[in-house]
Formats: sequence, C-alpha cells, structure tokens
Amino acid sequence: MLLPHPPQARSRRCPASYIRFRARGQVHGGAQPEVGGAAMLLALSRCWAPLSRRPLPLLVPARGRKSRHDPPAKSKAGRLKVPPPVDPAELLVVSERYRQYRLVLQALRMEFKQEVMRKHREERLDKESGAEAMEEHLKLMAWNSAENERLRKKREERLRREEEELQDRKLQGALNRAKLMEDFLKQKEREVLQLQEEARNFITPENLDERIKECLDNPRNYNFAIDKEGRVVKRSVPS
Amino acid sequence: MVHLAHLLMKNYHGGHVAIRLALGGCANRPFFRIVVAYNKRARDSKYLEQVGCYDPLPNGHNEKLVGLNIERLKHWIGCGAHITKPVEKLLGLSGFFPLHPMTITNAERLRKRRALKAITASEEETPGD
Repeated sequence: MLLPHPPQARSRRCPASYIRFRARGQVHGGAQPEVGGAAMLLALSRCWAPLSRRPLPLLVPARGRKSRHDPPAKSKAGRLKVPPPVDPAELLVVSERYRQYRLVLQALRMEFKQEVMRKHREERLDKESGAEAMEEHLKLMAWNSAENERLRKKREERLRREEEELQDRKLQGALNRAKLMEDFLKQKEREVLQLQEEARNFITPENLDERIKECLDNPRNYNFAIDKEGRVVKRSVPS
Repeated sequence: MVHLAHLLMKNYHGGHVAIRLALGGCANRPFFRIVVAYNKRARDSKYLEQVGCYDPLPNGHNEKLVGLNIERLKHWIGCGAHITKPVEKLLGLSGFFPLHPMTITNAERLRKRRALKAITASEEETPGD
C-alpha cells in the first residue's frame, strides 16, 4: 500500500483545475476500493486530513484558468447546450402559484403604502393642530405681547424725553425773545435819552439870539493838525 | 411648462430602493444582513438602513436564525422598495409574506426525488434478496 501524501504537498503539486475535476466525481472522502492509480492516491490522501481541513468540493464549473476571450476546448467541440427540461404540468401549477402569490403581494404592498400615507397625514395634522402646537402658539403669542410691551415702554420713554426737550427749547426760545425785546427796548431808551441829552444843546428859535451872540463873542481857531489817533499835533496849535 | 424641481432635488436618478442580503462574516463563515439600500450600490457598501439578519449556517440546535424588523420593513415596502428573491423566500418562510412558489415547488421536487430514490433502493434490495 502506498503511503498517503499530506494534503498541503498535494495542493502545491497539483493544479487547481485538476483538483476541481476530481472533486466532481468523488465527493465523499470515505473508503475507496483498492484499485491502483493516481485517483486512489488522491482519495486516500484526502481521507487522511480531518474533516475541518478537507477542501470543500466545488460542484459547479467556475472560470478558473480561462478568460472570456479564450476559445473553448477541443473536447467541447460537439457539445450541444440543452436547456433544462420543463414539465408542462408542473409549469402550469407553478404559474398559477406565482399568479396568486403576486396578487397577495400586490395587496400587501397597497396596504403598507396606505399605512405609510396615513402615518404621514397624522403626523402632519398633529404638527399643525395638536396639544404641542397649541402650547407653542400660546408661548409665541405671550412672547410677542411681551415684546410689544417692551417696545411700547421704550417708545413712550422716547416720546416723553422728546416732549421735555421740546418744552425746554420753547422756553429757551421765549426767554431769548424776551431778552432780545428787552435789549431792543433798552437800546431805544438809550437812544432816546441820548437824543434828549443832545436836545439840551440844540439851537431853538428862543436860543437863537443868545447862541449867535455867544459864537460871535468867542471866536475859535480850528486851524490845527490831527493825526490818525485823533491826537492834536502840539506844534501846530496856534497861539 | 417643464417641471424640473423634483428632478433637481432628487439625490439618486434612475434607480430604486431594494431590500436585499448583504454578505458579511469571515472565510468559510457567511453571515447575511437584510438591508435596505439603493439598487446600484455595491452589495456590501453603504446602505440606508438594516432591517434584519440571517445566519445561513445552522446552530447547535440545528436552526438557521433570521431576525426581522417588521415595522421598518412595512415602512420601506410602503415607500416602494423592491425585494430580492432570497429575501422574499425568507419572509415567506417566516410567515410575514405567503410562501414563495419556488419554495413549495422545490420542496415538492425534493420529495419526489426522495420517493423515487426510496423506490429504486427498495427495488434493488428485493432482487438482491
């Protein structure tokens, strides 16, 4: 009897497709008949490894070595791809089952859609007119009136201050006007007094003779020079 | 008048939402999450919401466990999500949907095959005796 090879050495030696091809035929790694050959060797070697370490058999063909552009093998030259056979009775039964299934599914979908719409609508309504919406509304109204009160107070304060200022200005204006009037009156009075003073020295028809006599009696010499300040130049004073 | 506002506001054009299985787990240990995702996304990439899970390997008591969030499933189906065949089969087996036709068909076929094998086995035994 040949010694079995350890599984690691086998996988390193044999290519992947070879293993896959073999795995299709021999699924169970159980006791094999004592017939010589590499197949038996492989099977025996497979028996050796524990179940957890045995490679799982791949029961479907997979594109391992070839890409989609490689030509098919010569062994597949006369291959005729045949679709799986269909049992018409079973097909009928299955079609009927599908029809009923789809009906039920459609009904369920409608039901769930309605539920979702109902939930949305209720949410919307609650948001617009629910207990929370009401209290939020009241809160906002209270805040609004508080703001209005505050602004009203400010406005009134401002108006009051402006009124006061206006009154002050009016008072000031009146005072100014009074002062101006007073000054004017004083000025006029002064002028009147001045005139009265001057009028004392006027020449009237009663004073005429006396004044003429006076002027003729006192001849005055105005023949002197005067500088810009109004001082008399002494050397030019006549004797 | 051309109505473009809806198209402009749409995040994802020409696709649909699907409820499908996303594969996770480790080598020789698959684990599926039942996931709501856009159709064109990769199988395991970003999804909208996870709506369940499915463990294909049987546990200690020989059960394959499936978890489903029925509430959210109903919501998404109501929003118009497509469902893939494996998920439909799982939902059928769980009772939320009716049983999928192919589940019943495959079960019938298996039964017939087993019956045939039993018959052939018994036929082989009787000439052997």
